[in-house]
Formats: sequence, C-alpha cells, structure tokens
Amino acid sequence: MKYKLIPYLILLSVITLSSFRIPGAKLISRDVHINFFSHTALEDISADNYKAIATLEPITGEVVFSVPMQSFEFALPLMQKHFNSKDFLNTKKFPKSKFTGVIANLKEIDFSKNGSYNALVNGRLTIKDVSRNVSEKGVITIKYGLVSIVTKMKLTLADYKISFSKGKASTNLAKTIDITVSANFK
Amino acid sequence: MSKLSRKILVGILFFGLLAGVSIYRYVYTMKARDVQSEQTDFTLSSSSIVNEYLANPSKANEKYLSEDGDSKILSVSGVVFSKSKDQNSQFVVLLKDSVSKAGVSCTFTAETNHNAEVLAIGEHVLIKGVIRSGAGYDPDLELYEDVIMEKCDLINR
Repeated sequence: MKYKLIPYLILLSVITLSSFRIPGAKLISRDVHINFFSHTALEDISADNYKAIATLEPITGEVVFSVPMQSFEFALPLMQKHFNSKDFLNTKKFPKSKFTGVIANLKEIDFSKNGSYNALVNGRLTIKDVSRNVSEKGVITIKYGLVSIVTKMKLTLADYKISFSKGKASTNLAKTIDITVSANFK
Repeated sequence: MSKLSRKILVGILFFGLLAGVSIYRYVYTMKARDVQSEQTDFTLSSSSIVNEYLANPSKANEKYLSEDGDSKILSVSGVVFSKSKDQNSQFVVLLKDSVSKAGVSCTFTAETNHNAEVLAIGEHVLIKGVIRSGAGYDPDLELYEDVIMEKCDLINR
C-alpha cells in the first residue's frame, strides 16, 4: 500500500520544488519592455524596445540591464533616424546602454514568498558613454517563483550630453523624458 | 499697402505654406523601412557572425551597424535552439548551435509570427532580418549576449 503512494509523493515534490525558486540563483530576463515617452505642447513622442536583457541576484540584490539602443522603435521613421544619429544617441558608436545597481531595501523583499514589494534601487546608468548615479523606485512582484520588476523613472537628456540647440527636436522633444521598464525573470 | 508690397507678402505666404507642407510630408509621411522587401546585405551562419563579434566587436559594428539605425539586412542560417514570445506578442527564435557561446536572437513581427509558430526546436532554418546589436560577453550580466535581429521572417526550413 505504502509503495503506491511513492509516485504521488514524487509528483508532489516536483510541484513544490518548481513553484518556489531556490534563493540565490541568478535570475535572467530576456522578456523586457522599455518605453520612452516625451511630452511637449507640440507633440507626444513614444518609442518601445523589447530586446533588453536583465539579471537579478536575489542574495546580493544586484540588478543589471543591458539595452540595445537600435531596438527602440518609433511611430515615425524620421524620429527613429534622429534618435540613432551621431547628434543624438550615436547608436553605431554606443550600441548599448547599461544600468548596474543594487536593491537598497533587500531585507524587505522575500523572494520565496508571493507578494508585491516596493524596492529602492541605487546604481549607475550609462548612456552614450556618460555614467551617472541614479536612485529609482520600483515594484518587485513574486508569484510562484516567477519574479517581475516594474519601474518608472524620469531621465534628463542633458545629464547624458544629449541636447539639441536647433531643429525640430529642440522644440518638440521634452528636456526630461519618462522611462517605463517591465521585466519578467525566469 | 502698394501693389508691389502686396505681391511680396503673397509670395512670402505662398512659399511659407509650401515649405510647411513639404516639411510636414517629409516628417510625417516617410515610410517605415520594409526589411523583408529589401535586398540581403550578408548571408551567413549564426556561429560565424557570433564568432566575428567575439573576435573583434568594433570591427563587426563598423561592418554591420549604420549611423541612422538602418543597419545591415542579414540572412542567417542556424539551428532553432529556443522559441518564446516577447511582451509585444512577437515570436523570438534563438538560432544557436550546441558549441557556440552565444546565438542570434530573431524577433518576428505581427505579420510574420505565423512562420515562427510552426518552427520546431532543433530544426535548421534560414531567417532574414535587420541587425540591431552584436554578441559579446558582459561582465556585469556574467553572460554572453546574443546578436539581435528584428523584423524577421523565415526564408526557408
């Protein structure tokens, strides 16, 4: 009789182990969406990127995002050309932007327990070879071992030596833009 | 206002209007690049482009990336290593062989998704798309990043 229970016990163990991730294993996300939004009285400009890669280390709280810049897609092709150009992001010379940071309130996040946790991430953002310290808030959601991060941040273009003194971009592009990031880790 | 002044004013208004319409047409009616209808710049295997990037990323970027973002169009052959969907419901097919450190990540479009849907892991395929960035080891991620291609479609299987 007791031998009949063995397959059920194995099945239960597999389900339990697959539902909760072992703390400490580095999580990887290749399922990232980044939105860039600029608002001025003249025009709203939005672009989306689905090709970034991110890692999250639950024990140390280290977070890394690597973003291929030519993957930002705009509604207007001319804007996309301007975005990639030497005067703006110079994506041929600097094809990737990067964020490296650490979750400051790591103790408040239990990666083994379902829930939504407010996170404060301090780190460095590098765009076009200019690095600056940033501190951003986000929400980390844990659901049966699957971890996702959502954050909204403001980015002042001049901080990364991105500015226009003439042309359409100087009037139609906001000086500070909104960045929304959503990443699902496995 | 003299007749001459009126003619000058009408002329200025006319050319101003013409310039405005031309700028509007240039900015707002420029068509998006149709990657699949353009000619392929390079045909190569997934492992060869990965190795090219790992050997000399600067030289490879110079060869494949363009300043305005309209980078080279590639037809890449390789083995389907994995298949997934991104947050825009686009299929992402990774071409990678078992010995390569990185592969070529090919993102399909709403129009070409159906061609990715039928692909099986281990199948040998040829995929056409535009390159967005190259492969390389990132010490912060502690991972090899794949070559990224977008606007992809299946050429043959």
